[in-house]
Amino acid sequence: MPIDLTFTDETVARIGRRPEALIPILQALQDHYGYLPEAALRRVCETTEITPAALTGVASFYDMFRHTPVGRHLLRVCVGTACHVAGANHIEDELRRRLHIPAGGDTDPDGLFTIERVACLGTCTLAPVVKFDQTTLGHVTVDSIEGRVREQVELAKRKSAAKSTEELLPHQNVPGQTEIHVGLGSCCMAKGSDQLFHALRESAALSGSQVIVKRVGCVGMCHRTPMVEVTSPGRPGVYYSDLTPAHATTLVQRYLRPRSLSQRARHWGTRLLDALLVDEVAGTGRIEQCAVGQRDPDLRAFFGKQQRIATEHFGRLDPLDLDEYLSHGGFAALARCLGKGNLGLATEMSIESLAGGPSSAALAPNAIIALLEQAGLRGRGGAGFPTGQKWRVTAAQSGDVKYVICNGDEGDPGAFMDRMILESFPFRVIEGLAIAAVAVGAREGVFYIRHEYPLAVKRVRRAIEQLEQRGWLGGGPADGFSLKLSVFEGAGAFVCGEETALIASIEGRRGMPALRPPFPAERGLWGCPTLINNVETLALVPWILRHGAAKFAAIGTAQSKGTKVFALAGKVRRGGLIEVPMGTTLREIVEEIGGGVGPGRRFKAVQIGGPSGGCVPARLADTPVDFESLGAVGAIMGSGGLVVLDDTSCMVDIARYFLQFTQDQSCGQCTFCRIGTKRMLDILDRLCTGKATRANLDELERLAAQVGAGSLCGLGKTAPNPVLTTLRYFRDEYEAHLAGHCPAGQCAALIHYTINTDCTGCTLCAQHCPVDAIPMTPYARHVIDDAKCTRCDTCRQVCPYDAVDVK
Amino acid sequence: MSETFTITIDQQPVTVTAGDSVLTAARKLGLDIPTLCYLEKCGPLHTCQVCLVKWNGKLVPSCGTKVAPGMVIESETGEVHEARRTALELLFSDHVGDCLSPCQRLCPLWLNIPAMLRQIEAGRLDEAITTVRAALPLPAVLGHLCHHPCEQGCRRGHWDDPAAIRNLEKFVTDQDFAKSEPHLPARQPATGRKIAIVGAGPTGLAAAYYLTRNGHAVTVLDRRAQPGGSLRDVPEDRLPAASLDAELTLLKRLGVEFQSKVELGGPMPLADLAQNFNAVLLAVGELKPGEGDALGVTLAGASIKADPHSCLTSMPKVFAAGSVVRAQKQLVRALAEGRAAAECMHRFLSGEPARRPEKPFSSLMGRLDPAEVRAFLLQAGHSGGRVSPCDACRGHTPAEAALESSRCLHCDCRSSGNCALQHYAQVYGADANRFRGERRPFEQQLQPGGIIFEPGKCILCGICVKLTELAREELGLTFIGRGFDVRLGAPFNHTIEDGLRRVAAECVKACPTGALVFKENLPPAPHAPPQSPPPSDSGDASTRPR
Repeated sequence: MPIDLTFTDETVARIGRRPEALIPILQALQDHYGYLPEAALRRVCETTEITPAALTGVASFYDMFRHTPVGRHLLRVCVGTACHVAGANHIEDELRRRLHIPAGGDTDPDGLFTIERVACLGTCTLAPVVKFDQTTLGHVTVDSIEGRVREQVELAKRKSAAKSTEELLPHQNVPGQTEIHVGLGSCCMAKGSDQLFHALRESAALSGSQVIVKRVGCVGMCHRTPMVEVTSPGRPGVYYSDLTPAHATTLVQRYLRPRSLSQRARHWGTRLLDALLVDEVAGTGRIEQCAVGQRDPDLRAFFGKQQRIATEHFGRLDPLDLDEYLSHGGFAALARCLGKGNLGLATEMSIESLAGGPSSAALAPNAIIALLEQAGLRGRGGAGFPTGQKWRVTAAQSGDVKYVICNGDEGDPGAFMDRMILESFPFRVIEGLAIAAVAVGAREGVFYIRHEYPLAVKRVRRAIEQLEQRGWLGGGPADGFSLKLSVFEGAGAFVCGEETALIASIEGRRGMPALRPPFPAERGLWGCPTLINNVETLALVPWILRHGAAKFAAIGTAQSKGTKVFALAGKVRRGGLIEVPMGTTLREIVEEIGGGVGPGRRFKAVQIGGPSGGCVPARLADTPVDFESLGAVGAIMGSGGLVVLDDTSCMVDIARYFLQFTQDQSCGQCTFCRIGTKRMLDILDRLCTGKATRANLDELERLAAQVGAGSLCGLGKTAPNPVLTTLRYFRDEYEAHLAGHCPAGQCAALIHYTINTDCTGCTLCAQHCPVDAIPMTPYARHVIDDAKCTRCDTCRQVCPYDAVDVK
Repeated sequence: MSETFTITIDQQPVTVTAGDSVLTAARKLGLDIPTLCYLEKCGPLHTCQVCLVKWNGKLVPSCGTKVAPGMVIESETGEVHEARRTALELLFSDHVGDCLSPCQRLCPLWLNIPAMLRQIEAGRLDEAITTVRAALPLPAVLGHLCHHPCEQGCRRGHWDDPAAIRNLEKFVTDQDFAKSEPHLPARQPATGRKIAIVGAGPTGLAAAYYLTRNGHAVTVLDRRAQPGGSLRDVPEDRLPAASLDAELTLLKRLGVEFQSKVELGGPMPLADLAQNFNAVLLAVGELKPGEGDALGVTLAGASIKADPHSCLTSMPKVFAAGSVVRAQKQLVRALAEGRAAAECMHRFLSGEPARRPEKPFSSLMGRLDPAEVRAFLLQAGHSGGRVSPCDACRGHTPAEAALESSRCLHCDCRSSGNCALQHYAQVYGADANRFRGERRPFEQQLQPGGIIFEPGKCILCGICVKLTELAREELGLTFIGRGFDVRLGAPFNHTIEDGLRRVAAECVKACPTGALVFKENLPPAPHAPPQSPPPSDSGDASTRPR
């Protein structure tokens, strides 16, 4: 079927004809056609300065680009760390089986479903996760996945797509009003917060109540979402967790403040009825069991050790309410850097008070940088390079054109801090980037955000638009400050988190890192001095300027100042988004904040820093989180992914998982990374299938050291870390694999499922087995056909009598 | 004028200009840092990572690292060499193709058989005899007696019959000897060194051949009336005396001096010989018990004891090889022992430690599956079975020989001997099998314009990609994909040739391996690989990377 190229021509006309338009053009084409038709690509080459070689190279480099048509529904199976340890591969197997997707292909014969693996969707606390078109399905199981997919297909047929929460205008602030804050980050929404939000608004509108239902960012306690906080003047906030839309009316009525006696009576009547209701009636679900008091031990433990700087006012601010941000000290730091009034801010009063009076002069770039140096701020992207020094080098470069870039290409599987910050505090990150621009002398800035984070992209774009509408961004007032900000969507490549690869990507090329030096601070985007900072780093900057360097430096340890945001996920009871002072120990994070591992399980290790990081064993859990201490145990701080592993996690499998990841994500440029990681993976594959020899193991260790030493960029240099740390702390597990045994019972080739004598013949396992490996024999002990068994673990999970053994 | 300053590489100061690379600086010092992806015109691509050096405790590619005042670089150290070797070994772990054909690897004398066959096929017999004599001493004799282990390894044999390599070699030699002035191999300039070889049997004659070619003055002493040793005992129907005599005549023409009826011991003790010559080789064949007692060298049983690596006996300057050390059952192996001894002695006389020649490096593809054999068959000129000469004939006619030669699959690499990857693998003693695992299938893209592209040999250096970009090729070449699966290709599934409308010749020339070659580039011209000295199997052990 010939392709209609009108859209292609329009896209080129809209986006541009220069080589750097390539990735946005491809994204638009893919969005429109569902894949990249060759005819369209050839047309792009004919009508732009983009060469066929550049186009082919780029279109084949980034994960998001498809070259074959996509089925009616796109199923994206997240294979991030948390999802992996939660059995993502079994979910994929089951989907392929049930949806008849052939091996080696990605679409079923009827063209209904296309399946894709995604490196990480950044919704780790919901693991394992599958994204059905635009809907995220969390906590899926082998048993439930088919039903949930079919349910989505039905929903799609009825076209009852969920209403967006993004088009909402910020509510009007009315002092003294009761507010219901609904967390609307990606994870919250995946668990139905958006539906809850609409239900609450409808209930509030129907009851004529004065309760304000407010959209806020991430609430942190992902394990309890959908979660709301109700704030009333003069009273402590009350949380309600695990809510459904069915609870909406009850919740609104509870906080309705009836004016007249009759209204009050009706209200009490309703509450009484509510209490008596046994069955859930639409919109009037009981909420008592959902209430979480401030003294709730779960809540206290989760929040007790936390300190919010990058995520200041978390769960309170509407991400896109500029005035609310201003009323909470927003842009005061930037105003201080510019001298008062430069922004023509509507809330000048508050800024003046914070900036030290109406006559305060602009803070010199040097002084801004000095403040960061005094604060001891180090980059939160992973390596911990002193931020002030980076700014100083960039500022010192001559040249009129400089750039600032916010690195939001959070690619570590198992990490979602930057997504959450961008989704919840877009103005704060923009302010941080604007201050950076002032300090280094840049007039253009770019937000590089991975496309897997559509909500973050949307919110940052909306935030920039609002600032442009007020004339603070874009044009630039006559008195000097002018900053043009844009958003560049990544196209799916972990390596683009490396700053030189990120620059290559913005310039429309394959994301292949360059040799440093020269550093981007000297020669970056378009050959100009460029400052690149991570999202969290930038989010900390306004706080430091408002509260002073000393206050920031007072938090944390000698070498690592301030706080660190972590995405806590994996085998932990209370997963979520946390911010703790540097120096907090891993044990405090896992056991106090996270509530430890599940019942009956043993805490084994923490994977910190993703594919560049390492596994810290439980016996070293008292290691404080700071750059030096983590480095000393062989891990790295990384960007903040923290995946807890218990005794059901196989450490060899974890190492294999990360090597699989880096090998897949390697740009393929240098020998050590392209082939070295593959050869390491070969050996790990042999280990996980019981085929490795001792010589292989020795070679793995030797090669790991050489790949680390010989690779060109940080990706390759750190790729061996997961192997080296597991070898260091869990050599016994490697030894066991050499002997053909997987102690954690994870490596499919080395384990067998059997049913013991506790079996009552209830047939549950047989009913749930996805591959019919268990014949149904009511009232008799069941038997598993080992040849058919895929080790998906479903039988063990459904068995009520603990009759399934894994050996 | 650009700023100049001094940096230090391996403790040696070198003056450099700002903007120079560390590689340039090292080359100023005469250091042979290996490079595969570096071509000055393209600038540093830093993909191959074999030019690593150590700077500030870190390994960095020297091609892309700019000099800085006060820089201290380590280059020729064990650690750096190990990293470079590992890079080479990783490249070979994903390298689909053999440098040398199995037949050449199985030949104890490493005759470049595919080259010989291509020359016969093309009717260039003068080149074929050069190829033969470059490797073989006494080829006329071998043509009759060799047990041809080469033919066992011939990949054509996996399909129908192996190529008749031994008979074709005989054909080449016979044709040459039939000429009024047979081919005389080239000799190195005279060294002024004198060598005595005791024993004119196969090992002694072979050693004499190689040593004479190396420019040494060789005298062969033998107790028999005629040189030839045990070869004189072979019946005429198996080895015509005329063939042996023709080879002896050639040796004399080369300058080898023969002294017959001379017995070691008595009036001519070994010690005297050792005094009068710069080196002595004992190649007297198997000793009977007691025969060697009076020689004055240490024995092991009846045999002379010689170091297996250096061929040196207990007496200084005296070497021993062949059956006198260990009984040799096969002629070709006895000749190979003679070559080994010659190499040891040549090194010894050049002031280096005596050492046997290195086995030539080769990437190893292992067994081919039938589909791969079929791909190779496309190259063979003749699809039928072996072409044998008629019973009454003494050997192949030129037409028959050409047809039989055309059965060769050319499973060697067209760039062998002209390949930087192979060269440095040899220099660094790389183990092509260190990371052996599953390999990709062999693939050969024969392009209508005469380019052959073998994706499995591409190391993704990026030189051709860059050259097409610089030349503003209409299509050009690009990297396709990511990670381990990155491949070189032309856009939109065009052929490689489509991407190389302007710079095909330049890209073929610059390709550091055999991934891009011209089909007519037969045989590979034995010249130096790009920017590096020629491969040498007589390298100095002391400069050899550790």
